[in-house]
Amino acid sequence: MPSEDKVLEEVRTENIDIEAVLDPVEPDGVFRDSRECAALALQAGTTKLLLSPPTPRPKKG
Amino acid sequence: MEQSSTSALLQGTVLDLASDVVSALRSGDHVRAGGTLAGVSAGGGVARAAVRVLGADLLLPATLLGCEPVPDQLTVFQDAVAAHPPRDDAAPTVVWSHWAMIRALRRLGRPPTGPLADDAGAEPDARWLDDAGWQYLTHQLAVLAPLALPGEECAVMRAARRRPVDVARGFVRAVRRRDWQQAAGAGRWLTLLDGVPATLGLEAGLDFVRLMGGSDPRVALQLEAARLMPAGVPL
Repeated sequence: MPSEDKVLEEVRTENIDIEAVLDPVEPDGVFRDSRECAALALQAGTTKLLLSPPTPRPKKG
Repeated sequence: MEQSSTSALLQGTVLDLASDVVSALRSGDHVRAGGTLAGVSAGGGVARAAVRVLGADLLLPATLLGCEPVPDQLTVFQDAVAAHPPRDDAAPTVVWSHWAMIRALRRLGRPPTGPLADDAGAEPDARWLDDAGWQYLTHQLAVLAPLALPGEECAVMRAARRRPVDVARGFVRAVRRRDWQQAAGAGRWLTLLDGVPATLGLEAGLDFVRLMGGSDPRVALQLEAARLMPAGVPL
């Protein structure tokens, strides 16, 4: 007779959708301002800044 | 409720496994690489599923540093490959991650067991990447980061080699989205590609990813792989 742990393990395994975990959708991003990135990189004690394109700004007018 | 607790258990086990690999990559200690799996029976369903999720990177210390995998680790890895083959309608990343695991086993001279013992290891199709936009390409490559190995020859590697600038753009986008896992995976690919723009500042970028996201073992694993990659022995 299987142990309680064994049964629980099999129930848990049945519930796992491995393929969904292996094919994840891209999470929603939280964009950070370039100036904040630069400041954080400086805080790390490095003199090299993370290069990234400028943040898109809405056009005026 | 059961689903969420199972998912949390699986994710926790994946993180434990990734921590083991990070420790092993930092220290070259093969025992650490198998710590979480020590004493796990081949039938341990959650552990086996977690091994399938982490994929070929579980054997990265053996692949990159030549550490001998511990027997428990190898047994569960082989069991995970046999127990979780891709479905017929599986997404390309699922198929390729499974292929990568079989390839890792063959590389170590341990072919898969069970129904896959006779598997010829034929390479899956990678045409889904041909017309992929640079954002999607980067996301898919990051998911398939275990394929980013020095000297690796496969269709996914060739697709990445053809588009270093797109992967560089994707890396910057991932950093700006604060998607540290994608950024670390893309960074690992970039360490292997020719033609990456010097203006990217990859080294500083990877330092930044480590600073911001390095506490996640899955991110740390990719960063350690990227660190070792230039010195890695071609397969």
